[in-house]
Amino acid sequence: MKNRRQLLALGSVLALGTLGLPAYAQQPTYKIGYQLPLTGNTAQYGIDFKNAAEIALDQFAKAGKSFKVEIVFEDSRSDTKEGVAIARKFVDDKSIVGVLGDFTSGVSIASAQIYKEAGMPQLSQTASHPDYTKVSEWQFRNITTQAQEGPLNAEWLYASGYRKVAVIAEQTDWGQTVVSNFADKFKALGGQVVFSEFFNRGLADFRPIITKIARDKPDAIYTGYFYEDGAQFLKQMKQLSVTIPVHSTSASYNQQLITLAGADAEGMKLTATFLPNNPSKNVQDFVAAWKAKTGQAEPGQFPAQAYDAVNIMLAALERAHPNVTRKSLRDQLAATKNFPGVTGDTTFDADREPSKKLVRAQVKNGAFVAVEK
Amino acid sequence: MNASDTTSRRWLWTGLILTGLFVIVPLLLSLAGRSYFYQIANTIMIFALLAASMHLVTGVAGLLQLGHAAFYGIGGYGAALLATHFKLSFAATIPLAGLMAALIAFLVAVPTMRLVSIYFAVATLGIGQMLHVITLNWVAVTKGPNGILLFGGMKLFDIDFSKPVPAYYLVAVIVAACVYVIHRLSHSYYGNALRALREDDQCADAMGINTPRLKLESFTVSGFFAGVAGALWAHTAGYISPADFNFNVSILILSMVVLGGLGSLPGSILGAIILIGLPEVLREFKAGDFRNIIIGVVLFGVILFQPRGLIGEVSALDFIRNQFGLGRKARSDGKQMRVGWL
Repeated sequence: MKNRRQLLALGSVLALGTLGLPAYAQQPTYKIGYQLPLTGNTAQYGIDFKNAAEIALDQFAKAGKSFKVEIVFEDSRSDTKEGVAIARKFVDDKSIVGVLGDFTSGVSIASAQIYKEAGMPQLSQTASHPDYTKVSEWQFRNITTQAQEGPLNAEWLYASGYRKVAVIAEQTDWGQTVVSNFADKFKALGGQVVFSEFFNRGLADFRPIITKIARDKPDAIYTGYFYEDGAQFLKQMKQLSVTIPVHSTSASYNQQLITLAGADAEGMKLTATFLPNNPSKNVQDFVAAWKAKTGQAEPGQFPAQAYDAVNIMLAALERAHPNVTRKSLRDQLAATKNFPGVTGDTTFDADREPSKKLVRAQVKNGAFVAVEK
Repeated sequence: MNASDTTSRRWLWTGLILTGLFVIVPLLLSLAGRSYFYQIANTIMIFALLAASMHLVTGVAGLLQLGHAAFYGIGGYGAALLATHFKLSFAATIPLAGLMAALIAFLVAVPTMRLVSIYFAVATLGIGQMLHVITLNWVAVTKGPNGILLFGGMKLFDIDFSKPVPAYYLVAVIVAACVYVIHRLSHSYYGNALRALREDDQCADAMGINTPRLKLESFTVSGFFAGVAGALWAHTAGYISPADFNFNVSILILSMVVLGGLGSLPGSILGAIILIGLPEVLREFKAGDFRNIIIGVVLFGVILFQPRGLIGEVSALDFIRNQFGLGRKARSDGKQMRVGWL
């Protein structure tokens, strides 16, 4: 008896499903590829991107648009070999009209060579390498590069009265741009970079570097690190009782920094494009959805970046609809203007670089808060 | 069975391999009509060359090499810098990149040749890391972590080698030629001498084999082919950075050689096919996070149940000797004696 009722229920669901099908079939479905590291050393970032993308896609589906969008996620492990294979795969799939990713600049650029050749729009949420958007007219990025952030921080530090600054950054393409863009502007303003060193990502012991910095007695330290290295650095600063003020970039903006470094993170200043305590509605919606989906604390800069990248792509799709091709999607991406994202308003300039408003923030009482100076 | 028998069989097998590589595989690839498969095929061939070059030094000569990716990297960087700074044609950069890697391998080999077993392994590990750190930190020349973009494309005689089909043939021809040389080196009396040195270098020394010289030669030749593979990778990918040549790559190549069978050339190539191909096959099956675990299980299973590798050295040598190069000697009773190599 019970079984029969279940069967009946199942049957009716199936019947409803088939009835519903024709209505859905009329809606075109566009496919977007997303290449990102879901395993390997940088998996934590890729998994965040995937969650953020799914939130964006979910909200889009609920908005009741006249077309549907599907995202195909492929794991690149931040490995160039795998990245280029994925790029070929996406290019081969004629139903894929645009691509998001990859995470690292290296994999993004190697894949970009393939997208350039095939004519596929590519929007990376994080590739900050200066040459990435120079590969071809098909590459876009949704992250402010150090070309924008570096000079801004230089001005901030200079205005704070610092004249002698030590600069350290991770030894990656991004770290290189952190140092050069900051140092050029700071020197032009009349300041002095008294110490500059690169470290390998995941360095366990910053004490030799901190000791050397302390010896040069700078007014402040400008740092280019992600949250894991940042937490180590700040904790070891405290252990060595070095109290020089620390400034950093938006890359270190992550709640995990405070979780890992605890009270030692207190006082660090940084520039950011995304603050989860921003009262505007879209930010609060995203933060709430993020907490509900992942069960984690507030999202950091990078998931917000990915969330916006997906939404920029969806908005461009909507403008290109119903004549969606790779070419028309590229043109619509290029036409993105004042897109209201959670990381601020995004406009792509002629070089397909975003210009965003950066805010100044500081760690105060265990939270990132906006500050004036 | 007579001598001409082996000759005809050799031609049969050579023909089969060449038809497979230059006709059947491209035909299948074009039937599939997806550039994705060409990409995988190229990556497999480049890693087959890397595995084959490591096979010569680690499998045949028995020198555990833990820094092979460094020579791969020198080739990649050599080719990229020659093409971007000196505007050389890609065709010229490939052999030059090989020579650069061979030169560095030679310089590295001179002081390390007296080392044996684990000491040699640690020395190559150190050298590999050193070269990696140099590419990462010598920003003025290598652009450090920024990597090098190759905008030039690959054009020669009006053929654009960056398109999938010409790229496949380019890589296939070069890899086939290199693997042929490695085959001749490892399946000959020269290879026997290397094996003797692997089994017991003091004994080999006593037999009149110049062991330091053989080690030096095999290491340099292996470096040359790794360099060629690096150049092929740089040109087909269009962008290289130090991360492409890190320690993990050395271990990947070593895994290919061990998986296929230490000392077995067909095994090394099979190892490359499996370790590059399997992750992509699993991607098709949406294995997700299990991809890496499955690869680990395969490696573990092979080491556990087939410790000599998928194609062990003995069976590989047996096969190659019978099909390609069985030497013969007339016995006093007029019959042919099967001995040695051609």
